[in-house]
Amino acid sequence: MASSVKQYKAIGEELWKARSEKINAELFALTYGALVVQLIQDYDQDYDEVNKQLEKMGYNIGTRLIEDFLARSGLGRCADFKEVGEVIAKVGFKTFLNITPGVVHAPPPSPTPNRQSNPTSSQPSFILTLDENPLTEFVELPEEALEGGLWFSNVLSGVIRGALEMVQMQVQAEFISDVLRGDETSEIRVRLVKYLEEEVPVGDD
Amino acid sequence: MSHHLFLLSPSDTPLYALTHHSSKPKQTVPSPLAANLPAWSTTGFSHRLAALSGASSATQQSTTEPTKVGAGQDRDVIHLIANASLDAVEDGMQKDGAMYMKGVDKFNEWTISAFVTPGNTKLLLLHEAKNDDGIRNFFMDVWELYVKTAANPFHSAYTPIGSPVFDARVRASAKRYL
Repeated sequence: MASSVKQYKAIGEELWKARSEKINAELFALTYGALVVQLIQDYDQDYDEVNKQLEKMGYNIGTRLIEDFLARSGLGRCADFKEVGEVIAKVGFKTFLNITPGVVHAPPPSPTPNRQSNPTSSQPSFILTLDENPLTEFVELPEEALEGGLWFSNVLSGVIRGALEMVQMQVQAEFISDVLRGDETSEIRVRLVKYLEEEVPVGDD
Repeated sequence: MSHHLFLLSPSDTPLYALTHHSSKPKQTVPSPLAANLPAWSTTGFSHRLAALSGASSATQQSTTEPTKVGAGQDRDVIHLIANASLDAVEDGMQKDGAMYMKGVDKFNEWTISAFVTPGNTKLLLLHEAKNDDGIRNFFMDVWELYVKTAANPFHSAYTPIGSPVFDARVRASAKRYL
């Protein structure tokens, strides 16, 4: 397992370097910041709705991003959900954001009833820990946003969900902590809901 | 020796205020205003005069007044001085276009230096002694800190700055340069 982790890191590094179109980080952060602020205004400070919209946007991005990712990386199908987590963290995030979040896999399902926060213990999950986040370069959340429960970088959860859905995995991805909200770390938990069956396209018979 | 810093938005609303007491030794203790006026004119409002002129000398002494400089009654005077200097600052802005204006206005022993950012945010510093280099460095520092704050998408040019991080950094900078 360790060697493949290293392999993934190397692949991620290579892909990042091979990218010819990179964007200025400040511009990126400011654009995203303006987007979030505008959403907040448009939805009248309804932070739950803003979170949902950010996730939806991320979903749309993710469904397209996965094509780009697979084309460039040429990686095959992941053997198990653990590998999915590794690839997302070491190759995916590295390729597009040049960051490498840490991955912690939930321990394999066991018969004990006490699980951390997983109500359904049979679903594998992993937690991505972002120790740096290019989206939040200059951001400080105001009071109302803190109280309203805004997940500033929620677009990332959507991207993960959208991308994985295109490769036949239905997942739930959500932020469980955020440095902007005063927590120690920013973490996204990705939980597998089910593998999707290959569906016959409508009209084909 | 104390300094008062004010950050004003382009529409002259206050964004941030700081009072800093320098640990550097006082250069010259100016004579109180009352000493320059004939005795009969000061009787009625010696209290006000003490505030106007005694703002600096009251710092180090343990006064009988419960309020310290920069708080309570003296604060009004400081604000008055700062606001009054805005006219001079605007004149300076039109004349030169330079960002840093030293000694743009004077009031008794207080000199006001100003720094106008390209976004029309004004930094005003009330100080007693001459300290051009230190003040310029301090202004540049505060400007940088302000730029970082301004990059926050939730912040507009008219948002008061409440961040404790900003406050701590400005104080540290004041300690270094003033």
